[in-house]
Parts: sequence; C-alpha cells; structure tokens
Amino acid sequence: MSGSPFKDDNKNKAGPNIMKPLSRRSFMKGVFAASAASAVSLKAPFVHASDTLRIGFISPQTGPLAVFAEPDDFTMMQIFQKIKNGVEIDGRRHDVEVIYKDSQSNPSRAATVTAELILKDGVDLVVASSTPATCNPVADQCELYGVPCITNDAPWQPYFFGRNGDPKTGFDWTFHFFWGLEDVVGSFSNLWQQIPTSKAIGTLWPNDEDGNAWGNSDRGFPPVLKQKGFEVIDRGRFQTPINDFSSFISEFRRNDVDIVTGVIAPPDFANFWNQAGQMGFQPKVVTVAKATEFPQAVRAFGERAEGLTVELMWSPSHPFKSSLTGQTARELANDYMATTSRPWTMPLGLKHALFEVAIDVLQRAGSKDPEVIRDAIKATKLDTIVGPVDFQNGPVPSVGKTPLVSGQWQKRGKDLDLVIVENSQAPMIPVEAELLPIQYKS
Amino acid sequence: MTVHTQHINMTRTPLPILPISLGVLFLGTAITMPFWGQAYWLHEFVNISCFFIFAMMWNLLAGYGGMVSVGQQAFFGLGGYFVLAMGNLAGVSPFIGIPLAAILTAIMALPLSKLAFRLNGGYFAIGTWVIAEVVRLTVANISIVGGGSGTSLTAFRGVDRVFRQHMTYWIALTCVVATVALILLFLRSKQGLALQAIRDSEVAASSQGVDVIRMKLAVYVVAALGCGLAGALYFASNLRISPDAAFSVNWTAFAIFIVMIGGVGRIEGPIIGTFVFWLINHYLSDYGTWYLIGLGGLAIVMSLYMKDGLAGFIHRKTGKDFLSIKRIYRSK
Repeated sequence: MSGSPFKDDNKNKAGPNIMKPLSRRSFMKGVFAASAASAVSLKAPFVHASDTLRIGFISPQTGPLAVFAEPDDFTMMQIFQKIKNGVEIDGRRHDVEVIYKDSQSNPSRAATVTAELILKDGVDLVVASSTPATCNPVADQCELYGVPCITNDAPWQPYFFGRNGDPKTGFDWTFHFFWGLEDVVGSFSNLWQQIPTSKAIGTLWPNDEDGNAWGNSDRGFPPVLKQKGFEVIDRGRFQTPINDFSSFISEFRRNDVDIVTGVIAPPDFANFWNQAGQMGFQPKVVTVAKATEFPQAVRAFGERAEGLTVELMWSPSHPFKSSLTGQTARELANDYMATTSRPWTMPLGLKHALFEVAIDVLQRAGSKDPEVIRDAIKATKLDTIVGPVDFQNGPVPSVGKTPLVSGQWQKRGKDLDLVIVENSQAPMIPVEAELLPIQYKS
Repeated sequence: MTVHTQHINMTRTPLPILPISLGVLFLGTAITMPFWGQAYWLHEFVNISCFFIFAMMWNLLAGYGGMVSVGQQAFFGLGGYFVLAMGNLAGVSPFIGIPLAAILTAIMALPLSKLAFRLNGGYFAIGTWVIAEVVRLTVANISIVGGGSGTSLTAFRGVDRVFRQHMTYWIALTCVVATVALILLFLRSKQGLALQAIRDSEVAASSQGVDVIRMKLAVYVVAALGCGLAGALYFASNLRISPDAAFSVNWTAFAIFIVMIGGVGRIEGPIIGTFVFWLINHYLSDYGTWYLIGLGGLAIVMSLYMKDGLAGFIHRKTGKDFLSIKRIYRSK
C-alpha cells in the first residue's frame, strides 16, 4: 500500500498538525469498540487450530501511560489486514492470533497478564512496549517461563541493568530493541552546543526507572556533560508526582541556567513550565524527555510549546520503510492521521516495528518450538520503520539498537510541528531545520 | 447441654461440621492439584491467595478489632521487599524467604504500632495511610533494592520451572489454610471474645478487665504478619517489585472491596468476597476503565443496600452461620 486513500492535508508538513481540533473517537474505535479493550483475537478461519501461532501483546491501555497506547487500535488493524489470511511459512499457511492485554500502567498487573498469556492462552511469543514499567515485568515473567519475548520503547540500560542483567551473558529468552542513554546523551549534548548559552544545565531527574538511569553519575548524563564543559545543577532524585517546582526554579535562576533537561511525565512538566513562566525564568533551551514527546501533551501549552526540544526515535521524516506494508514513514503517518484524525505520535512507529519483527521472526522460525523461535529472534536482521533491528551487534547480548535524533517544536504556518534539528548519533536521518532558542514575548 | 453447664450461661456454638468437612474435601482436592491441574490454575490460585490472606487480615483488624486501617499496604510491600532483598542480596531461597519475610514484617509492626496507636477512629485510618507512605518513600531511597526504580527477583533464575510452580502453590495453599484455621480458632477463644468486646466499646471492655492495649497490639502485629506473608508470596510469584506498586493504596482498597462484598466481621465474608472478586477480575478486567468504574459502582451498591455483604445476606435468608464464632446466651 502506498499513500493513503484519504485526502492528505498534511502533505507539506514535517510534523503533526497539533492545533487542529481532533475527534477523539475515530471510526477505528467503532470497529473495535466491542472488543478493543478486551482480548482482541485476530483469527482467521479454515486453518487447523494446532498450527495457530499466538502472539501476546501487552500495552498500557489505561492509566498514566495510556498516551503510549494511542496508536494500538490502528496498528492492530494494520496487522489484522496483514495476517487475516494467515502467514505463509515454508509453503504452508499458518493462522496467526494476537491477544491484546492491558497493563493498566502498573508493573504488577503487567506481570500478571503476562503469566496469564503464557499459562492460559499458551502464547508462542510475547511482545510488549512502552517504558521500563511495562517491558521489565513482562520480560521477567517470560524469562522465568521460558517464552520468547520482544520489547521496545524503553532505553536499553533501565531494561537491561534494571533487570539485573549480566553484560557477559544477557538473557536467555528476552530481547529488546531501542536506543540507549549514550545516544540521548550524545544527541542532547551536541544539540546544546549549537547555540551560545551559559553552559549551565538544570536537571529534572526523578526517583524512578528513567530518572535514576539518566542521572546516574557513572553511566548517565553527568560524566559526559562535565567532560563537554557543561555545568550540571542537579538537586538529586525527587518523588513524582510533584506539584511545586519553585525551589528548582529559584536554584536554576541563581546558577544562571540556560538549559533545562530531564525525563518527567507530562503533568509534572506542565507544573514546571507554568511555574517557570510565573516566576519569569526564561531558559534558552528546554529538552525534557517523555513530557513533550506527545502532541496531545504539547498542545496543552499552546504558544508556550514553541521551541521545546525532545528526543525523536521516529518521525515521518525518518528515511525508513515498513517491511510489513511497504509504507514509508511518511506514508504510515499520513495513513494514521487520515484514518484516526489524530496527529502522528512516536509510539506509532515503534508499535509497528514491534509487529514487523514479531511477524518476521515467526515466518523465519516456521515452528511453535520456543527454542526455534528464540533462535530466530537472535538471528533477526530486519529493516523496520524505526531503522535496522539486529540483536547480534548490540551493546550487550539480547539488545539491539535503533537510531535516535533530536527534534524541536517549531512554527510551520499557524501550527506547531516537530522537526529534526540534530542527528549526530544517526547521520542517515537528515536534519530539517536549525535549532532556535526559545523566544519569550515581553 | 445446659444440664452440665449450669454455672456458665454463655456457650460456644458447636464447631461447624459441614463447612469443615467441605473444607477438608477441598483441601484433599487442592493438595493434589499440581498433579492433575493446569499450570495456569496453580498460578491463578497463588495470585488470588495473596488477595485472600490480605483481605482476611483487614477483616480481622477492622471487622473484629474495630481498627479501620487504610495503610495495610505498608506491610504487604515490606513482605515483598524482604523476600526480594533476602533472595537477591543474601541468596536465601524465596521458599524459605516467604515465612521469614512475614516474621520480619511482624517485627517491623511493633515500632510502627507505637505511632498508629496514638490515634483513634478516622485519625487512625489516615495515620496508617501516612505511615504506609513514609515506608514507601523510605524504601524508594534505599538504592540497594533499586530505589524508586525497583528491582527484579533473580533468585529463581535457573530453578526448575515445574518444581518452582508446585512449591509456590503448596506454600500458598498452606498459608491460606493456616490463615483460616488460626483466625477461626483465635476468634472462638477467650481472646477472640475480648477482641470483639473492644470493637464494640473500648471503655466497657477495659472496665471488664480486658487489657485493651495488649489485645490491640497483638491483633495489629498478627495482621502485619499476615499482610507481610501475602506480600512476600505475591512478589515471589510476580518477580518485579517497585515502591509504587508494592506500597500502592490499591492493595488496601481491594481488601476493603473484598471484605465489603463478602461481609465485614464474618469469617466467611472474605472467602465469598475473594471468590466474587476473582470472578469479576477474571472475566471483566480486560474492559479497562469500565472494569474499575464497575468495581467502584458495585461497592457503592453493596454498601447502600447490603451492608452486611453476601455472607450476611445468606445468613439472613437461611438463618445459618457457616463458620460461626458466636457465643449464644442460654438461660438456666
């Protein structure tokens, strides 16, 4: 499929049209309404049941991480189109079934539904996505029960070291593909060198999986930033959610901070950014991960969103193609926007890539034997919509790396678009614009 | 019967024969389940056992001791953290770690009770919640157990899968049976009577010679032991622990839900409640937000129209108490 059959009014834009009023309920919701939230079985008839390959899919459909699951319905629909007639393996058609479970954004629940998928539904492969809070408990259960598992959308260090992985041996059954801290440190620090600043960086690293990894004084940001001549103003790990950032802001002002970075959830960043506005704190660059990745969250800031920067793991401008539908990144994003009337969002590419790898693995394995499937995952060499996936050449066993760049919310016409402004860690992805310091009125 | 007990005008109801024999039948079936049941049912049983034990403990505290706590998750989480810490840091097998973690949790309850018992009624409820939050924040700052990120239990890596499943199941079964038996026997004892007297009026009970402080402390520590046991069991089977998940107030909310549905202040209450909760959870939890709205709605309906829960409803309809701890006044 190339291009969408729908009218595409975003053709000349690099990013989503975030100021446009959106209808929350697309027809997609209608199609899946009866079964969407429940275990959706994508089943094709006429195939012998024992040949059915089952994929269990865990995603945070409800709770604070629900924004990651927004493209799920669309991705499932695309996968359904692909597998409704089964998948051909060695000349034989196999029925493929996807069973979709909600983690409720809760690691305990994620572990429970994984065990259920393994023990009750007898899945042959488990896939999961969206933050260490989803990937880690799912992978732990799979490792314990000896079921092959593929995850993404969580930096590899919190995934690997957060599960007490041994860099020499890795894990037996669980695999992960995403970027790592070294990419985000490299990309951000390079980004911040593009414009003249005081070189003082204020940090917002909370006491959670991400914050502890990013702020780690050996493996995280601090050593690299110091080496590159930045001054780091780190008030230590703090508990989230947090309402009051005034002490952070005062200290940042006292230290002449021009750059703010961190990894916090959208509601926390909203507090910080509003209070910064009230207190007249005006940093030149604000690069806060997680909070400003999502168009829905950014839209809430209106004018104040312009100039915010964020890491970009997938965008319509990424020069990659889907191995499943043949769509380019741009075509996939347009298809999504036309079908759902929502702006594109980064998890769209990652969810799509997750199933690209899953289907590719099952096709190459051609068997329900867990060890055969596991070995097929190990041997993966696939060009996906988020870039090449390869578990052989990762930084540690069981991990494959995908490229990362940085983007900025810039004005295009009347709307804000997320455009690529830095690509030092992934030169194959072209830069679209120059980094601009945040402009303040008055 | 009264002929021989003329000087005693309170007699215990006889030990309930029918439910106990049903229980023994259940036990016989349950013990052998690993040999004929599916792995999924073993896992499901372990999971639901944790909720059950936790709810039993909440019922003991609130339904019999009159101490309405919304901070029992403190002990649930501590139990989980103890078993993980012992497993990962000291190499203690989780099978031994589970009972040890419960005991350590009970020891922790002693100093915490000093704080909680300075408060009464509604203040006690809020106070226990605050204590649980303090415990959560403290654990979130202990980096050796992963701090705010949490950690994974690695002690089971390399343990034979079937052996682990069967052992975990039998431990859970033992814990369930022990919990029911101990609570039943305790509440039928003299101390049980004293406890219920305290619930109805502390002043009156103490004027009758009941040592209120000691009695409350004993119940608080026993409840902590049980909650720690439930938490240890839960996280030994769940493998992944983090402060937000372990010390979530949801645990206590679920326990209150189970007890309310089943019937507060009745031993069979949590049994029925857990069963209903399991049914709802099993069949409806895939409905996301609607499932949670439904749980809340059901709790409201029950508290408005069926205050004594399903167990109370059955009692009113049939006139029977299945696991009675009552003493009946008989005139000479």
